[in-house]
Amino acid sequence: MKTIALYSIKGGVGKTASAVNLAYLSSVSEPPTLICDLDPQGASSFYFRIVPNKKYSSKKFLKGNKKIYDNIKGTDFDNLDLLPADFSYRNLDIELLEEKKPQKKLKNNIKELNTEYPFIFFDCPPNLTLLSESVFTASDVILVPLIPTTLSLRTFEQLLDFFKECKLDTAKIKGFFTMFERRKAMHREIVEEYSGKKRFLRQIIPYNSEVEKMGIYRAPLNAVRPNVPAAIAYQELWEELMNEIEHRPTK
Amino acid sequence: MRTSLKPEYFSISDTSGLPEFFKGVDIPFSLQAEPLKKELLHCYDTFDWKAWNKKNAIVLCCQRLNLVDLKNGSEIGSSPLRKAPQSFFPEDIAEEKTVSMLKTLSRLRAFIRLGSVKTEIATWRALDENQKTVASIELLSILQPKPSNAQKPLAYVRLNPVRGYPKELETLAECLKSNPAYSGKTTYQDFYTAVLDAVSSVPGSYSSKPSVKLKPGNTIQDSARELLLSTLEVIHANESWIPKNIDTEFLHDYRVAIRRTRSILAQLKGIFPPNELSRYKQAFRELGKRTNNLRDQDVYLLQAERFRNLLPAAMRDSLDSFFTDLRNQHKKELRTFSKYLGSENYRQFLQEWESFLKGNMSPDPDTTPDALRKTSDVAVSSIKKAWKKVIRHGRDISRVATDTELHALRIDCKKLRYLLEFYASLFPAKTLQMVIRQLKTLQENLGVFVDLSVQQNYLYSYLSNLECTADNIPFASSLGGLVTALYNERETVRMSFHDAFDTFDRQETEELFNELFNKHR
Ligand SMILES: Nc1ncnc2c1ncn2[C@@H]1O[C@H](COP(=O)(O)OP(=O)(O)O)[C@@H](O)[C@H]1O
Ligand SMILES: [Mg+2]
Repeated sequence: MKTIALYSIKGGVGKTASAVNLAYLSSVSEPPTLICDLDPQGASSFYFRIVPNKKYSSKKFLKGNKKIYDNIKGTDFDNLDLLPADFSYRNLDIELLEEKKPQKKLKNNIKELNTEYPFIFFDCPPNLTLLSESVFTASDVILVPLIPTTLSLRTFEQLLDFFKECKLDTAKIKGFFTMFERRKAMHREIVEEYSGKKRFLRQIIPYNSEVEKMGIYRAPLNAVRPNVPAAIAYQELWEELMNEIEHRPTK
Repeated sequence: MRTSLKPEYFSISDTSGLPEFFKGVDIPFSLQAEPLKKELLHCYDTFDWKAWNKKNAIVLCCQRLNLVDLKNGSEIGSSPLRKAPQSFFPEDIAEEKTVSMLKTLSRLRAFIRLGSVKTEIATWRALDENQKTVASIELLSILQPKPSNAQKPLAYVRLNPVRGYPKELETLAECLKSNPAYSGKTTYQDFYTAVLDAVSSVPGSYSSKPSVKLKPGNTIQDSARELLLSTLEVIHANESWIPKNIDTEFLHDYRVAIRRTRSILAQLKGIFPPNELSRYKQAFRELGKRTNNLRDQDVYLLQAERFRNLLPAAMRDSLDSFFTDLRNQHKKELRTFSKYLGSENYRQFLQEWESFLKGNMSPDPDTTPDALRKTSDVAVSSIKKAWKKVIRHGRDISRVATDTELHALRIDCKKLRYLLEFYASLFPAKTLQMVIRQLKTLQENLGVFVDLSVQQNYLYSYLSNLECTADNIPFASSLGGLVTALYNERETVRMSFHDAFDTFDRQETEELFNELFNKHR
């Protein structure tokens, strides 16, 4: 089982869009795939029209394995399942404080899912909390979408510093650029300088208004508009990522 | 949607479509039609129905090969497969898990296309108030060829669950059942059987071990004829497939059937008129001989990978020419033998054999003194004799067993095994099964020993006949290495012979045999 988190301290950078599309591509090439919506806003759940069971809450999430398993829902796409986020997730960070080893919680809670899903994606909320730390431990790869601006680069640096401080494995972190607009000089310069370099994937996701329409399609872009520029870019990104994963020794 | 969830099958007598079907029924979902699909469905199984016997179906549809559990219709393996091949082996499939599952079904037998049907699949998604798919319903009909049995329901409904929506699924199933056109719950097996019926394929119609139910009171002559005729059927069943070179087991089963025939003829003395008997004995021996080279080549080619792996990596590639040579010989040999199979001589011989078995035989106290003995008496006495022979010969074997001793004992064991199988229907199945299992362990030890000896000798003589050229040096050294490796393996097997024999020659086995002799029908 490989776990991939879409993470950034910032909101609106394309975490959800990326999680949904990459998970879809994974479900096609490495079926089946699970996407865990960890953001109480429930954006990825929304894209798949999935609402959690009435009795589902952060408490069940913290109980883990069987409780999580029972609340997984099938999306409208073959081999792609989703664990919906409940609004109660907004308290996950403080509830985690009660746990003995909060950093290890998520990792342990999804252990039993590994026979079923070769790939699990986490769509994370935009903040740095105990939940994020738990995600960092549970993930094999932490994908950080960045809009190509100097400010984004700064937050990326801050994340790396945080990892070093907490003695976490920085090799897990992979940045990639999203919402790239060629007409912007700053975008061009930053992409040129960083993409494909240390800790950055080569493939960039262009700005493409089709991505915004995912809210209307209520489906991954790669499922309904596989030939638009952003979908093609996601396909390439997924392939690059697969190569990375295959060539990295597993611990 | 998750495919590992178990779909439910229903049959309905109305094929006009679901919206029509649901007319007047109050369903809390909206139905969204998907484009109508017409698909070819190809069914696969081994010649001897290995998948079916394990309650599995192998179907290729929409460029996916699926391994389906017949009992509940759930998909237990799936892999992309573009074309519909005439036959394939597990290794030919892309997806690893499916490969290993197919391998547990069959390693040597190829999966053969049994037939193809044209199906129509109409799909509707059931959507809840959020427009979320909570289940899908498929209406499957077999368009062509039509199943022969007109009573079969016209359409199969498959209700596919979506994970996390069990209540919705239940509601939908209830709605289906409340409809007048609903004609009952079925299983995937029913659907699959209808498909096989449409392509005139009869599941389980071939087995390399025909199950003849003997009557204990019949004369042994009649029973022997019955056994020989059913063995002849096996011969016929395989002969047209051997030339197609699909897998090695057609020839193998064919040879076993010949050996069985010979074994009956050899062991049942005083039953058939001696002149005819010796003529047929001779003829079947020759027929068997004609296949020896082919079988040997098959065996070496099957072992190619194992042989390679017995050598250090650097020495492996020089074996290639050996296998290429073997493949060419095999091709030639197969052509010769296929020609023989198609010949008038061959056809006539088996025809005569069949007439002989079916013809009138008037027992003659001089030439066929035992013909009228009771089948069960002969069964017990011949098994007793063969068993005692194995025990006696086995106990005589020296501390370090010699090649000759082991070769001879192997043949004794085979004879016993055939007798047990011939008369199987006369004995309590469970006891017989246990006896056979005990014998099998011993046979395995002996079989491996003899195979390793034969292979070693073959390779050694191949090596001795090799031209002394510089080019042949790497090849010769690889062959030498291989002979040594096989020699070492064989000696290990030799050392374990006495343990294998001791597990056969013991109180428990003796009790089992006695039980057989006392509890036969
Ligand atoms: N490549 C892109 N091109 C255009 N719009 C995008 C792109 N990626 C994301 N968006 C839009 O930006 C907004 C924020 O994206 P989202 O994936 O929800 O970010 P996050 O999950 O990081 O908050 C959404 O409206 C989304 O449709
Ligand atoms: Mg989001």
